[in-house]
Amino acid sequence: MLLAGLFLAAGALAAYLWRGGEARLVFVGAAVPVLAFLLVGVLWQALGFRADQYLLPLVAMFSFTSLVFLYRLSPGYAYRQFVWLLVGILFLFLTTRLFSNYRWLSQYKYIYGLLGALALIVPIFFGIEQGGAKSWLDFKFFHLQPSEFVKILVVLFLASFMSENKMVLSRGTESLLGLNLPGPRVWGPLLGMWGVSLILLVFQRDLGAALIYFGTFLAMVYVATARSLYVTLGLSLFTAGGALSYLLFDHVRQRVNIWLLNPYNFIELGDKEYDQAYQIIQSLFAIGAGGITGTGLGAGYPGFIPAVHTDFIFAAITEETGLMGGLGLVVLYLFFIYRGLKVALEARDDFSKLLASGLTALMGLQAFIIIAGVTKLLPLTGVTLPFISYGGSSLVANFIILGMILSISHEARCHEQQH
Amino acid sequence: MNNNIKKLGYFFIIIFSVLALYLGYLNAVLGPKLATDPHNRRLAAAEEAVTRGSIYDRRGVVLAEDKVVGGVKKRVYPLGSGTAHLLGFVSQQYGRAGLESTFDTYLLAMDQAGRIQALVDRVLGRQRYGYNVTLTVDSRLQSKAFQLLGGRPGAVVALDPRTGAVLAMVSSPSYDPASVDAVVRSETTMQNGRKVEIKTTGYDLLKVQTEAAPLLNRAARGVYPPGSTFKVVTGAGFLGANPGGPDRVYQCTGSLVAEGFVLKDFGVHGKIGLDQATAISCNTYFAGMGLELGDEGLKKAARDFGFELIEYDKDGQQKGGYPVTGGEIPYNPGTLPKSRMPLPEVASAAIGQGRVLVSPFQMALVAAGLANRGVVMKPLVLERVSTRNGIVIRRISPDPLLTAVHPGVAARLTAAMEESVLQGTSAPAALKGVRVAGKTGSAQNPNGTHAWFIGFAPVEDPRIALAVILENAGSGAYEAAPVAREIIREYLR
Repeated sequence: MLLAGLFLAAGALAAYLWRGGEARLVFVGAAVPVLAFLLVGVLWQALGFRADQYLLPLVAMFSFTSLVFLYRLSPGYAYRQFVWLLVGILFLFLTTRLFSNYRWLSQYKYIYGLLGALALIVPIFFGIEQGGAKSWLDFKFFHLQPSEFVKILVVLFLASFMSENKMVLSRGTESLLGLNLPGPRVWGPLLGMWGVSLILLVFQRDLGAALIYFGTFLAMVYVATARSLYVTLGLSLFTAGGALSYLLFDHVRQRVNIWLLNPYNFIELGDKEYDQAYQIIQSLFAIGAGGITGTGLGAGYPGFIPAVHTDFIFAAITEETGLMGGLGLVVLYLFFIYRGLKVALEARDDFSKLLASGLTALMGLQAFIIIAGVTKLLPLTGVTLPFISYGGSSLVANFIILGMILSISHEARCHEQQH
Repeated sequence: MNNNIKKLGYFFIIIFSVLALYLGYLNAVLGPKLATDPHNRRLAAAEEAVTRGSIYDRRGVVLAEDKVVGGVKKRVYPLGSGTAHLLGFVSQQYGRAGLESTFDTYLLAMDQAGRIQALVDRVLGRQRYGYNVTLTVDSRLQSKAFQLLGGRPGAVVALDPRTGAVLAMVSSPSYDPASVDAVVRSETTMQNGRKVEIKTTGYDLLKVQTEAAPLLNRAARGVYPPGSTFKVVTGAGFLGANPGGPDRVYQCTGSLVAEGFVLKDFGVHGKIGLDQATAISCNTYFAGMGLELGDEGLKKAARDFGFELIEYDKDGQQKGGYPVTGGEIPYNPGTLPKSRMPLPEVASAAIGQGRVLVSPFQMALVAAGLANRGVVMKPLVLERVSTRNGIVIRRISPDPLLTAVHPGVAARLTAAMEESVLQGTSAPAALKGVRVAGKTGSAQNPNGTHAWFIGFAPVEDPRIALAVILENAGSGAYEAAPVAREIIREYLR
């Protein structure tokens, strides 16, 4: 926590020097989040909340990185992100208070299924389009992206369903082509829910979210059953789906084609191809410009990348803090996953384990997919970098996820103490 | 279930490790390439903030520098069109070319140390400077060569055979590198009811001259038939294939028949050996050598000097692009057809006709290889990179590129080439008090005859090797050899 605070202080100082003036603003921007995080920590201490000690500082680190870089890129975004961060911290606290008795949540799985589906359908009819994805709701003061919250409902649904049907799922009751598969009554709702969300995402053209949902689904299936058969089946289904959408949808084809372009010899690209791949090429230029130590905060040109404050913030960070900064973030996310899965390991029952590992996998996959996307390791899909990218819905949803993981941790540790 | 969770954790460790490794690769390995990609807008942005480094010749003479003229930063080239193809240009509109592009990383100080220095300079509010680059080029020789070409289409490449250092590289006709961006004329026309200003720049004017092609660097990227200069390659192949054998003696009857195809010589030379054949440039002697070597042997000899084999389609057109050898100065290597040549073509290829094509740079490398006891050194043009305060941050050391022939073969050919200068077609290249070795070429082509000369001097300890071509100027002996002589004289004086 202290380290994170120092980091923000340094960032704030640099930002202050660079922009010049606005001293009070920068001070408030830096001090309030630190105090908010500290306050939450102190409150938890007072209330006897004994969750994992590393997750909160990690997230504080991410949040501060976010504030520093958004301020550097465009102060307007930083101000809004600042507000969202406070809202997120509030939600974090509320989640840990209200969610502490979370086991009852497993009772209402079909409600999540329905709610999730509803939340995904609404934007198709009433939503507005942003960045090629029609997944936003317009609430005058802010835009809400329901799919950010639906991912929590999806994990809740899957966790409750799988913990209930775990035995059936892993043993299988019916034999198909020599493979033991559970009956349709068991996997029907599972796949049904799954198909619905995938189709919706296709209609909303939100590829990245679809990829994350599916990856999380597979991770949870594996954790629940340890049957690689499901994972293989799922992967082949996904490959088929991917191939199909490549053939059917222009925006998917375009993304994949860009990915397949020879990226390191732009001289040979025609003007048309170059224009299509413009965004990812600018991102690679930014990452390449960073070198080992980076150009230094404010000394790079991340502004050349379109949408740098959301999807491409990782490229901006790597340009200005270099390979060391970029690798640092990768390591921090991995550490986050490690702590999250540790919570899952400590949890007492299947539902908690599934929930914790599902939420952690969700976070990990999201971080991986966007970092791999902007570095052109994978085709680019528009998702946010957890806790760092600009975006209110995403930030608040991520804080709720953090709250849930911490609650599971708290519950497990309390129980351990009693014995 | 805990076991599964652990496995999930390992899975994440694996994918994040892949990500980290890839990121390192992207950043550290591809980074420098990405940084100097001409599409990268950071180059132009960096240009604004940095005083671009200067380029010097081997004696410290300025070849290119940033100067502020009337409050505007300008790139100045004191030798003007004389160094245009060597140095290239820097343009906001047309990117960068030549060594200005190759050495961008240095001239803009974009390496790791430069980045840190940039940060320090920025904090202290100091002006930033790129590194200065010192070339192996001799500006006096460069000017002399350019002057000797006198605007005629042609090229000169001079190397130090011991190190591969480029001493001069000139292509003509040339252009003024400072005029590339200059607006020559401006017209205003109405288009769709709007006023549209059409500006014509110096570059636009150069671009459309397809015949004279002033933008083409003939020295490195011009492709010509080598004519009789190729005979030294044939000779090298033959001597290499018959080590220690007696001197090949041949009865020249004025023509040679290969599978019914008659190859005519320009005279009946009688009974001659290698020295005489080289001196008088006897076609039948070397064509016969080529026939003895055969398709494979001749190609091996050429490839030993760095030639490449390329494919031709049915219409006799090259398939794909012409190959380019990368490096500080990208050049076209010599080429031969990949498919098996019939014997008549082998005979004409052996004397540098048919589908043998070379760039002047390649022929200079052939001469340099023979001069350096058979070892072709890797061509280099960068001598050192230093900061503004004179601290040398990079110095280049010579490297052998390939071994073309055995030292004995090189010595034997050198003797023959010296004979050519003493009492043969290369006589116009003779210099008083300096032993010169050389070979002329008069390469017939549909538009005339290219005048060629390759050679080196002094024979006992070669310090300069060169190739000269004058497009469609006629005889190599009367047009190219004197140019070579004056260049050698200038360099050895």
